[in-house]
Amino acid sequence: MAEDAKNKSTYQSRSELKPRAWIADGLRVTFKTLVRTTVHRPNTIQYPFEKLVKPDCYRGRPGIVLEKCIACSKCVRICPNRCIEMVPIESATLGKVKRPQVNVARCMMCGYCAEVCPTNAMIVTPEFELAAYSRSELMFDPFKLQFESKPGYEVCSPMILPSEIKAGKTEMHNKGDMAIKDTVALDAKKCISCSRCEKTCPVGAVKMTETGEINPKTNKPIKKPAFDNEKCVSCEQCVDVCPKSCLSMKEAM
Amino acid sequence: MTEMWVNMGPQHPFNHGLWNLRVKLDGEKVIDAEPVVGYLHRGWEKMVESRDYQQIIPMSDRLCYCSALTWSHVYVGAVEKLMEVEVPERAQWIRVITIEIQRLASHLMWLAAVGTDLGSYTIFLYAMRERELFLDLLTNLTGARMTYNYMRIGGVRNDFPENFERDTLRACDLLEKRIKGEYYQLMDMNSAFRLRTENNGYLSKEDAMNLGVTGPNMRGSNVDFDLRRDDPYEKYDEVDFEVCVEEAGDSFARYRVRMREMLVSIDIIRQGFQKIRAGPVRVKAPRTAPVGTAFYHVEDPRGESLMYVIGDGTNQPYRLKVRSPIFVTVSAAPKMCIGYKMADIPAIMGTVDMCVGETDR
Repeated sequence: MAEDAKNKSTYQSRSELKPRAWIADGLRVTFKTLVRTTVHRPNTIQYPFEKLVKPDCYRGRPGIVLEKCIACSKCVRICPNRCIEMVPIESATLGKVKRPQVNVARCMMCGYCAEVCPTNAMIVTPEFELAAYSRSELMFDPFKLQFESKPGYEVCSPMILPSEIKAGKTEMHNKGDMAIKDTVALDAKKCISCSRCEKTCPVGAVKMTETGEINPKTNKPIKKPAFDNEKCVSCEQCVDVCPKSCLSMKEAM
Repeated sequence: MTEMWVNMGPQHPFNHGLWNLRVKLDGEKVIDAEPVVGYLHRGWEKMVESRDYQQIIPMSDRLCYCSALTWSHVYVGAVEKLMEVEVPERAQWIRVITIEIQRLASHLMWLAAVGTDLGSYTIFLYAMRERELFLDLLTNLTGARMTYNYMRIGGVRNDFPENFERDTLRACDLLEKRIKGEYYQLMDMNSAFRLRTENNGYLSKEDAMNLGVTGPNMRGSNVDFDLRRDDPYEKYDEVDFEVCVEEAGDSFARYRVRMREMLVSIDIIRQGFQKIRAGPVRVKAPRTAPVGTAFYHVEDPRGESLMYVIGDGTNQPYRLKVRSPIFVTVSAAPKMCIGYKMADIPAIMGTVDMCVGETDR
């Protein structure tokens, strides 16, 4: 019986409502709110003149710190809308380099590009007023994309490995920690020593090293890539560029 | 009197979003009704087949603008089942708390909409004002107001920010006071509102079960079923809460279920903050899913939402099927509308809580 009563709601039936319920009770609530909002503080703000205070983690359009960027293309790879593209730029301080260009018209402000960026060059900015008169204005080239970084704008999503959780550890790893880094594995039998992975690596983590064997046809030493896991940012560019697909990502689990 | 078909929609003040309710009228009386959906079809299920598992999370947020978190939650739940990822305890509690905050925000959005449907602009402003509190909380936590991109395969993106618990409990206290005081005075005790919602849009228990109606709409028809209790996911089995069931089956019963559910959500949030413990919040998930299938279903603010994912060993799903609660519920519209006057339709369909984004996907 008690359980039945718990599961049933209690409210007055319509015939029991007093006549004043038609208008007087509702108006009393309205007048109370009227007094509260006029005397104390209104619930609205006058938007173009005053703006809401946004938290530091607010995700507006993406921004970039050009000096930190290493052109690893991780943001291009993760972008769900494929609105990021690497374009060649030339500047006095950087020289001829590639940097990301963002089509903000297609951007969905998910913040993935900042989350995966290994050097925190890509950041989320609190800039949300992005209306423009033409689509070309919304194509943010690397210089237009620049934004001054603050610690809160850098996105970091620390994680833990499944094997560590089973072992009872509770310590989380930030991005770039050796423990959670995916590394490149080489299938040496397929390798043809073309050294494209060395050329494409943005951080110089790949070195062609001599294996000690000698090619019987040319009498030159055979070189195979060696990977420096400390420097590696797991950008997978070498995996993509490999013509014989002998490289693969080994996941830290 | 001749009979005629009237198109209520796709642009009509009563339908939230883009759908069409064709009604056959005999004078003022509705003698037939037919919902027409598909105006907002984006090809979502096909689109995600060319994205990898991580990229689909922000896209599943876009399924429904009112309850983005629950949709990304049901997606990551399905993929976690497929990949056999274990979620840390703290992340599960964070999911429970954030989903309940999202449920509050979604129900308040519905209350605001139903207020404008029935001509009560006051309740629209009040409900939107309270919804803003919860959107602010989620902005602090996730960095966006509506499309959060907060769930991750293997946990959540980040831990609670500073003072989150204090702010949430304060907002909950305020909302509880308002629901029991102001909203009760403005809606439940208002005879005009009661006259428009009571004894119309009747959906019987058998019809609700046969037509696949789920969620608050089904509980308004006296079916005692809630996935949070009957098939508990995350940490709902450790939470003690009441399942709100109303006997009447009319529009007012559906309204009462949602109002009581808000109080229950506040209760769950309070229990969650008591039981949450420190710990890791995110596990590193594998890039690829094995060959196989998995499904996951949760109690969305609108009903039972389900995702069925087929993995083919690559980093992209072979197929992702979405079961949307409102797509099924809207098929019960003829049952609810036939026999009532045309002016009752906003009161009937307003309490169903339509969301076309997930219906058409």
